[in-house]
Amino acid sequence: MTEHNDREIRDALKQSFPPVNTELRRDLWPDVLRKLDVRPVAVPWYDWALAGLSAVMFLAFPRLVLVFAYHL
Amino acid sequence: MDLLQRFTHGEIDAFETLARQFQGDIYAWIVRIVRDPGTAEDLTVETLWRVYRARHRFRPDGNFGAWARRIATNLAIDHLRRNRPEQSFPTEPAGVPQPDPLLQRETRERIQQAFRRLPAKLQVAATLALVEELPYDEIASALGTSVGAVKLRVFRAVRILRKRLSHAGITPE
Repeated sequence: MTEHNDREIRDALKQSFPPVNTELRRDLWPDVLRKLDVRPVAVPWYDWALAGLSAVMFLAFPRLVLVFAYHL
Repeated sequence: MDLLQRFTHGEIDAFETLARQFQGDIYAWIVRIVRDPGTAEDLTVETLWRVYRARHRFRPDGNFGAWARRIATNLAIDHLRRNRPEQSFPTEPAGVPQPDPLLQRETRERIQQAFRRLPAKLQVAATLALVEELPYDEIASALGTSVGAVKLRVFRAVRILRKRLSHAGITPE
């Protein structure tokens, strides 16, 4: 690739993509704060699976609760 | 305790000060990449949210602006990847350059379309280097890579773009 060819592409891109206004039009802090408040804590699926499996085990074998409690 | 230390400890007041101080820089960086003010605002909010969520990974003696910019760049790349046009680029026989403004506009639109179909990482490097004419070391820092890698991405972007434009019968003037 020659410098001349590179400049051609650069010029074509600059003509095709006019300059953008980089000034922020408004304060975004309220949006950030809202997002911090409403975003729920994501619990991965394997945590739910582990909790479900534990519940089933404790229901099927209640004495496991004692073993589990002993190891806590 | 200084502002950055308070931020890493999760103090919301410290984060608010930093967010208000850097939101303009983050927005300006993102809008240069995505070229759309509304999208850039959304991605700036998302960046600041991720910055707060990742505060434990930030070292208080580090450069907050550079760190936030890198997170913003990754988000912008993800956005471009998700919104990459899928349709193929129509091909036409090569023609002589036309002075007609309508044809020139159509040519510009087709160059934009071809450019937006580039892989996101190449597109970002080429936008910042060729359209925005930013220094390569600044681009490399934001992309978390070396100057050589940025030059290579720009080179590959130009090569792919030239091939696609040539295939479509468009010759950059």
